[in-house]
Amino acid sequence: MASDCFPPFIAAQLNYLVHQSALGVKVENVWSGSKSYPGVLDRFTLLIPYCLDYIKWDVLYNAEFPLCAPDVIFGPEDEHFHPFRSRSKEGGNVMQGAKNSLSDWNHKDPSRLSALIQELRDEYMAYQRRRAGEVDDDRLTFEISTIMSREGIEMHMSSGLEKPQEVKFAVPLVDININKMVRGCPWRYLQKIHLQVVYPVGKKYVSAASAPRLKLVCTPELKALFSVDEVKLPSWVDGMCMAEYLPHLEESLQGQIMEAVALIDTRRHFIEALAPVFGRPVEADPVFCRKATVLVASGIFTFLVHLFIPTQFPRQQPALMLQSSQHFNSQGAPIKSLLLTDYPWSPRWEVSQMAERILEFLVDESLNFKRYCNEAQLQT
Amino acid sequence: MDDLPLQKIAISGPTLSSLLQRVSSSPADADGLLFGHVLPVAPASLSDDPSSAAAAAAASASGSSDSTALVATVTSFLCPGCPLSFFDSLGRVLSPALLLRHSQHRLIGWFSSRRRSRLQPSMREFNIAASLSSDPSLSFPIDDGAASSNGFSPRVFLLFSTPPLDSAIHTHEYRAFQFRTATDTFEPRSVDVVNIGPGFRGHYGNFSPNSSFPWLACDLRGSSMMQEDSKEERLSEMRQAAKYQNEIDLIAEGFPVAKLSRLVGSEASNYTAGLEEMYEKMLTKVDSLARLVEAGSAQVVEMEQHNSKLRAEVAGIKRVVDG
Repeated sequence: MASDCFPPFIAAQLNYLVHQSALGVKVENVWSGSKSYPGVLDRFTLLIPYCLDYIKWDVLYNAEFPLCAPDVIFGPEDEHFHPFRSRSKEGGNVMQGAKNSLSDWNHKDPSRLSALIQELRDEYMAYQRRRAGEVDDDRLTFEISTIMSREGIEMHMSSGLEKPQEVKFAVPLVDININKMVRGCPWRYLQKIHLQVVYPVGKKYVSAASAPRLKLVCTPELKALFSVDEVKLPSWVDGMCMAEYLPHLEESLQGQIMEAVALIDTRRHFIEALAPVFGRPVEADPVFCRKATVLVASGIFTFLVHLFIPTQFPRQQPALMLQSSQHFNSQGAPIKSLLLTDYPWSPRWEVSQMAERILEFLVDESLNFKRYCNEAQLQT
Repeated sequence: MDDLPLQKIAISGPTLSSLLQRVSSSPADADGLLFGHVLPVAPASLSDDPSSAAAAAAASASGSSDSTALVATVTSFLCPGCPLSFFDSLGRVLSPALLLRHSQHRLIGWFSSRRRSRLQPSMREFNIAASLSSDPSLSFPIDDGAASSNGFSPRVFLLFSTPPLDSAIHTHEYRAFQFRTATDTFEPRSVDVVNIGPGFRGHYGNFSPNSSFPWLACDLRGSSMMQEDSKEERLSEMRQAAKYQNEIDLIAEGFPVAKLSRLVGSEASNYTAGLEEMYEKMLTKVDSLARLVEAGSAQVVEMEQHNSKLRAEVAGIKRVVDG
């Protein structure tokens, strides 16, 4: 029997969902519920990004009847989420003209599962918004009413027996297309920065409302350009609301993004300045200019130098890593040095001087590294 | 008042085991209808102390203004063996009239079984339950003796699953729910498996016979004299009785009930021999019937397997399995 795999129709739909749709869905777990074909997978758990977190839904197909529409089991905490609820009219089971991606399922169309998940996610968003709106907390009611019109805002109401009730907001920030600002941008999806705001649901008559928990979150690929962890959030003044807070934050963030984009060129100049000193780089990151590799020889000892250029360059110096092209460990992998960041540096130097200073440092360091390589090889 | 809370859901051991057998032998996920009846139960503890009796009444009435506690008993089920048999992919019940065809049994709910899945109602299951319970044509009155207006619509839901990980021990997991239309939620209910044995005799208090064998109005002819005036009214009844009598005579083959008196007395010995012969003949008949049924079932299974193979071919599973 072949290894476990999906029937073709289901595989096509799942592939489309994971690779074609912009939802960013991940598949966590796949398994089979079939008795006659235990190797034929027909159910899986999806991780669907929502409100800067993931919601887990189980999608169940039927391997015995793979042409039928799938069913979905939602998370245990969403027992009141009932999408596609058809209410029959009094006096008979009147089929309502509800049109959705399940009502006319077509197994041949690979985009169907993706459409279904998208539709359910939209329903889920409306459901969470409704729940957050029902909270008996004046501040939250006010915040929701003022922030509701913001496009793309997501809310999540978390409650449990042990956990205190909280309403989580994911506010998309900075209405600029970062993808367009980067030349030769390799990102498939639009990069976004969100502000996560978590409000505890207060008792009605508590006067001192504490500040919400704030956190900046960005899409993972954006880290190549801009690190949100280093952004200092403006302080939350007592009695403030989100509508007051956001404009300041957005303004400063916008400036920082512009700066980050401008820094790409600074890094590019630095890499270009490496060429006269070290010779043409063996390899360099052409888009974000975060990485360059040059070949260096000291006598007959030849080694590669990897330069990892931080987003804060030139304030922060590049981290260097040396890799011998002559010494190998017992596994046959080339011997590498640790990351070197402790060498003379000034952000005020010209890029050409930076390159020269690195070369000077490497002349001394190459002896250390050669000794290190020889010792490492002897040990093996 | 169509949304009375159930105290528990009862099912007899044989029904549950045959349901489990059906579900676990099914090649894929299965679902079907549950039939049975709903009866009110007498309060378990009776007290002559007025204060404690009031407290007990209040406790049993919690969640409902009405103090009657109901027990739904599952007596039989129907498993069509293919998905989307009585509902569509959205979970809307198709043609409820079709569900009413099994009128000698009350439709009290439905069940769903899916292997290796969480024991939590899914989106479609919720919609089916909501659709079934909100259909007024499926509602039926509760026979609680009193002329109450309480009705019950099919709101019982049994969910079967197997553990998510393959294990050497074959286990079944099940959960029972009652769908509450007022709150739109599934409320978990305990399942009471009624077993056989003296210790469980008390459980049978809630049972009522549900055999489809007709009540035979074939009293000993001639022994009961009817009043002349009601004769005309009972004419059709008598005709029916005569029909039943013919059916019985066919089975009894010349051994009418009236002759039972011969079982005692002098001619008993040769009469019992005749009776035994008749029983033997009946047993042979039953035996051949069983064989016929067996052969029929084998054919059905063969057909099902063939269909399953065809389906797999259409869906491209065959290619996947064969590599």
